[in-house]
Amino acid sequence: MPFNVPDVKPLIEDEFVGEAAKRALQYIQTKRAAGMPVAGIYCGYAPMEVIRAVGAVPAILCAFANKTIAAAEAVLPANLCPLIKSSYGFIITDTCPFFGISDAVVAETTCDGKKKMFELISEYKPMFVMDLPQLPDEKEALANWAVMITKLQGFLEKTFSTSATPEGIEREIKATNIKNRLMNRVFDYAAKKPSLLKWSETYELAFLAQVATTADLQPIFREVFKTIEDREAKGVHYGTASAPRVLVTGCPVGGDSTKVYKIIEEAGGVVVAMDSCTGMKPFMTEIEENTGDPIAAVAARYLQLPCSCMTPNTRRLDELDKTIACFQPDVVIEVVLHACHSYNIEAYKIMNHAKSKHNLPYLKIETDYSDGDVEQIRTRVEALFDSL
Amino acid sequence: MTTLGLDIGSRTIKLVVRENGAVVLTRKELTSYDPLAVCRELLRNAPGGPLVATGYGRHLIKEYLRCETISEIKAFALGARAVFPSCRTILDIGGQDTKAIALTADGRIDKFHMNDKCAAGTGRFLEIMATALGLSLGDFMTEALAAETSHPINSMCTVFAESEVISTIARGTARPAIALGIHQAIAARAVSLLERVSITEDILFAGGVALNRCMQREIENKLGRKVHAPPDPQIIGALGCALLAANNV
Repeated sequence: MPFNVPDVKPLIEDEFVGEAAKRALQYIQTKRAAGMPVAGIYCGYAPMEVIRAVGAVPAILCAFANKTIAAAEAVLPANLCPLIKSSYGFIITDTCPFFGISDAVVAETTCDGKKKMFELISEYKPMFVMDLPQLPDEKEALANWAVMITKLQGFLEKTFSTSATPEGIEREIKATNIKNRLMNRVFDYAAKKPSLLKWSETYELAFLAQVATTADLQPIFREVFKTIEDREAKGVHYGTASAPRVLVTGCPVGGDSTKVYKIIEEAGGVVVAMDSCTGMKPFMTEIEENTGDPIAAVAARYLQLPCSCMTPNTRRLDELDKTIACFQPDVVIEVVLHACHSYNIEAYKIMNHAKSKHNLPYLKIETDYSDGDVEQIRTRVEALFDSL
Repeated sequence: MTTLGLDIGSRTIKLVVRENGAVVLTRKELTSYDPLAVCRELLRNAPGGPLVATGYGRHLIKEYLRCETISEIKAFALGARAVFPSCRTILDIGGQDTKAIALTADGRIDKFHMNDKCAAGTGRFLEIMATALGLSLGDFMTEALAAETSHPINSMCTVFAESEVISTIARGTARPAIALGIHQAIAARAVSLLERVSITEDILFAGGVALNRCMQREIENKLGRKVHAPPDPQIIGALGCALLAANNV
């Protein structure tokens, strides 16, 4: 699946095109060299505004490669989510450069597998495990989560010998809101018919935007918008106008599991919306500003993230409605990682919602990081497009 | 006009040649480790004409024959209506996939569902279970058909099911009862797949497993409806390809 014209300038034009992790690594290394401590994170629930307010740079830790799974399975059960196995494998084989330069690790109790895996790696680096409330609509949830975030602040301050102020957190809230608005402006171009962006461009930008500060991103955003507006002016678009538009939802998709995006494209589809923690989810919703209690404002925003670990997770359906309205997909494809029970069970609700409310065909793909099932997935995706 | 359809399945490769609206030639061969060589062999001395391919190996042959390829879902939808015009639901159990396809009244694909990617409850599963019982596929079906009782088999993972069968044999359970239990377990799985796409009659049973009369009987028992197996259920996908090749001309 190409652009409609040859030699299209990439969205981020630097030496890291196609290498999102390397670009992020270089950014973090530069910050570290300038004296900033590094906080390794595993999940979208890590409150970035607090991490930044204590003067640290966040690093998203490795979790998406098949190559470390064999080592992990010497300790962990084989019948476990590949993301957890891969994460653990990276650490025991000492092959995650982000973990290597992390001064501390922030972890969340999003699922049983991660929770118990964190215990096994807690010896390697100072680690803070946040007890994430999983009934987000209970009235205590917000207060409990705010307490956790305050405790995290204390942990980071002590570990890094720095301190954060409420004003500092408030500044980071405002910076996040600016960043999220800019990111959503980019996503709007992916939503155009036909789309102006290839999925990997959005994916790469999202990867960098999670770790980089809004200020550091400003020059990149300026270039990005110039590039996109140039594409629009010249009638450049990605894929054909008749190609099925695909909304991919579900578990995080990165590294080796981007095979699913590639198969969708090879089958003639265009991935227009990536509804996951490695796509658009980290940039959704605004944090309330000037509340006088920035920790509570941060807590409220993160509790709104519609991860399947939450119950009931009605926000995911509401957000899906908005995403469908904005991106106008022809099909919904859900990616479920092996043994991710919460996404796998919730898939039933997503399927019914897509089919009944939006009259959209739906396909669930259960997979891991190996390439052993590529042809089976291809058969299902091609059949889905054939049925349109 | 002559057109050809090729279905390169995981276990068997099927060729159908149509001439002026009638099937004039069908060939089948085991897929083996070299499906391309098998395709060449099947096509040798076959009449020439436009070819459409489907099945797991379709992308392999595309490189060599410059033919159009379609998904199995589309191929089966076309082929099923050709042999059975009133068909609204298709159950296809092949070597490593099970598909349920619902068609609209005018034959378009309405919905489809496929098994998870593992080969549990497919033709390959039956082959391995027959081997575990020391039977040929034919005798495995005959014993199951004649069984007076059935011993339920719970595992659907091929490896676990094989262990379960072996330990059931070790407990002295009669072989026909185990054979029937295996058939019933697969039938239950197929019916649950059918129920996900909604079942409208008439129902066509295709794929290599449709040659198994015990499986047909057990599926009918579970569904409480008649299921039609065509005389040559393995060629439905290849036939759909040959039909599409004719439409394309």
